[in-house]
Amino acid sequence: MASRSLYSEFTKGIWKENPVIILLLGMCPALAVSNSAVNGLAMGLASTFVVVSASSIVSIIRRLVPAQVRIPTYIVIIAGFVTLADLFLKAYFPAVAKSLGPYVPLIVVNCMIMGRAEFFASKHTLLPAIVDAFGTGIGFTWVLVVVGVVREILGSGSIFNVMLMSEDVFTPWVVMILPAGAFISLGLMIGIINYFKNLKAERAK
Amino acid sequence: MSFKESSAGMITVMTVVAIIVGSILAGFYQMVSPRIEANRLAEEKRAIFSVLPEAKDYVTIDLEVGEGDDKESLMIFRGVDDDNAPVGYAFVSEGPGFAAAIVMMVGLNINTEELTGMKVLEQIETPGLGNKIAMEPFESQFRGLKIKPAITYIKNKKPESDNQIQAITGATISSVAIVKALNKTIKVLMPFILEDIRNPVVIERQVEEEAVPEPKEEEK
Amino acid sequence: MSDDNKDKENLEAKEGGEAKAAPKPTPPVKKQEMVIDGLIVSSSPHLLNEESVPKVMHNVIVALFPVCAVSIYVYGLRALILLFVCLFTSLVTEYLCRRFMKKPVTLYDGSAAITGILLALTLPPAFPLLGAVLGSVFAIAVGKQIFGGLGLNIFNPALLGRAFLMATYPVLTTTWSDPIEWSGLFTMPSLEVVTGATPLALMKFEGITSELFPMFMGSVSGSLGETSAVAILIGGLFLRYKGYINWKLPLGFLGTIFIFGGLFYLVDPSKYPSPLFQVLSGGAMLGAWFMITDMVTSPVTARGQWIFAIGAGVITVIIRLFGGLPEGVMYSILFMNAFVPLLNRYTRPKVFGEGMSEVQESGR
Repeated sequence: MASRSLYSEFTKGIWKENPVIILLLGMCPALAVSNSAVNGLAMGLASTFVVVSASSIVSIIRRLVPAQVRIPTYIVIIAGFVTLADLFLKAYFPAVAKSLGPYVPLIVVNCMIMGRAEFFASKHTLLPAIVDAFGTGIGFTWVLVVVGVVREILGSGSIFNVMLMSEDVFTPWVVMILPAGAFISLGLMIGIINYFKNLKAERAK
Repeated sequence: MSFKESSAGMITVMTVVAIIVGSILAGFYQMVSPRIEANRLAEEKRAIFSVLPEAKDYVTIDLEVGEGDDKESLMIFRGVDDDNAPVGYAFVSEGPGFAAAIVMMVGLNINTEELTGMKVLEQIETPGLGNKIAMEPFESQFRGLKIKPAITYIKNKKPESDNQIQAITGATISSVAIVKALNKTIKVLMPFILEDIRNPVVIERQVEEEAVPEPKEEEK
Repeated sequence: MSDDNKDKENLEAKEGGEAKAAPKPTPPVKKQEMVIDGLIVSSSPHLLNEESVPKVMHNVIVALFPVCAVSIYVYGLRALILLFVCLFTSLVTEYLCRRFMKKPVTLYDGSAAITGILLALTLPPAFPLLGAVLGSVFAIAVGKQIFGGLGLNIFNPALLGRAFLMATYPVLTTTWSDPIEWSGLFTMPSLEVVTGATPLALMKFEGITSELFPMFMGSVSGSLGETSAVAILIGGLFLRYKGYINWKLPLGFLGTIFIFGGLFYLVDPSKYPSPLFQVLSGGAMLGAWFMITDMVTSPVTARGQWIFAIGAGVITVIIRLFGGLPEGVMYSILFMNAFVPLLNRYTRPKVFGEGMSEVQESGR
């Protein structure tokens, strides 16, 4: 583990151990709030903030916390940062807070954050913990934004709330902004990525 | 067994963490809560002024409706013009829609018994179909709508009387939900609105400060 | 692909085969055959009739002719174009998917053609062609080929395509045209005019009951294939005569709608529609004869088939009478499709002596 460079700790979260498309963690927000690019971005950034802050605190206090109560301790820390993020959004970005609704408080139960705290931050020093959490957060964010962009273009005919096509030219596929569209687009996306991964592995043989 | 591994150690760690997190949150909440409150008020204000276009200010009146277990705390807003004369009442109406509750702000002109506006505040109806209830063509139908004997709806046709709206094609359930909610809320709140006209309640912030000095000037 | 995967595939093919094989029809069963001392040794089922997947499928297409003919008669050229677009897109999608997955192209077994025709029959006549293309692609690619092709799909592909379109274009899928005034084959119903509500929608939202005879013959508005009960009945009885459909499924489904819907009618005839109306309206007939009888997505045991059909019927009535939608046939069948593996498992007839000892085949 020690031989791993900081750079590879950072990049693994973005692609090789991406929380959503490879580890399939944090599916609840990934499915629920990826109905537009802005929502995906806001949710991704809020989660990144929480995972980085929680991981750094967990890393700092990792020697002080008895093993038996580490999970409740982590949950309290994570919940604290989630509440901070929630209050911050409500105070400064009320529109975003309204459209994300209950999914901001629900970041608490995003297993991606717990996963980083439990598997990485509690066993590493501060710097690698931050780098690892940041990479994971970025990995989470880009998937949410990509799914959000796809769903917003097909479902509302716009991108980042800018209308691309008028409704006369393109009738939006309403299904894409409904929950069903989240399952269809994320499922197909993971399928396509796995297809190309298999193809690559086959060629390498 | 070290202190860390003992029960006392666990309790200590958990308590300390909880206290620190709790106090940070409390501090942050103190810091941002005025802003959150201001955001909420601004939204309320925007909604009220959009359904009571003639109002320049408004008074919030808290009500207790119902008895016993059905008791509910409701609010009505009395819209006033520059001279503090009432121009209409606004209130929040809520009812079950196709997917979840629909919440809307409604303005009412009590003299003409007409609605002065309706604005949907919260809804998650089907996009492209039911969510047309939150769009201008549908909402504007409620401007000038007679509320007596009751609001009704018609499908696929232009409204035939002045207490009728045209339901959205393909989204009858959402349209009807609004009509039903409005009729119900109006029925519940009407006695309180009439009561308020007879004896205006003077309670709230802006108006209280301005309204109190006026009689004194008359006395002089 | 590694050998592991291949084994898995064989296993899947076998399981799929078993699931389909029980009644008369025999869709393709990839059996592992061995020849020992000149004798062919293969896994069950050991059926020795001449039925093959293409033959069954082609007969189903023949059975759909009357329905298609009536829909073209009632809705004119528009219906013909819609049928053609769905059929063509389904076939092209099937071909491309099989090529993409590097598997044998199964275009000639006719199953994709049936999916295309059935999907078209569930659409309103004025449905835009681009939407029909989208629905067909979804039905074949996501509804069928993603699961591995014919025999492995969980849900009826045509209904899945229709459900996708329903969620994608909620307005267009519920905008019905009245039947055209008959003035020649080349009459196009106008796309602009929003007209005709289906008998079910009239019932649900306005409390108007339609007359039964036009519903039986087909001169009411609705999807291409759901208007004429008599045409569906001809096709369905033809299939029954050929022995391709199991009488339990349509009977259980229609019977449940009749009886369960009739119960409500008895309670309050002014509020609930008559049982005959329930059976003749909407997609009940089409669903009963062509959707619920899909060999791949219905249970193989007799008990399972009863549960499947009755369950779908009950859900249909509940959605129609108490749900937000006027019609519930599509969702009820899709919903029950999801239970088919479970039904197959728990209604499997017991082998003599099974349960007496612990010696059982492992796995299933």
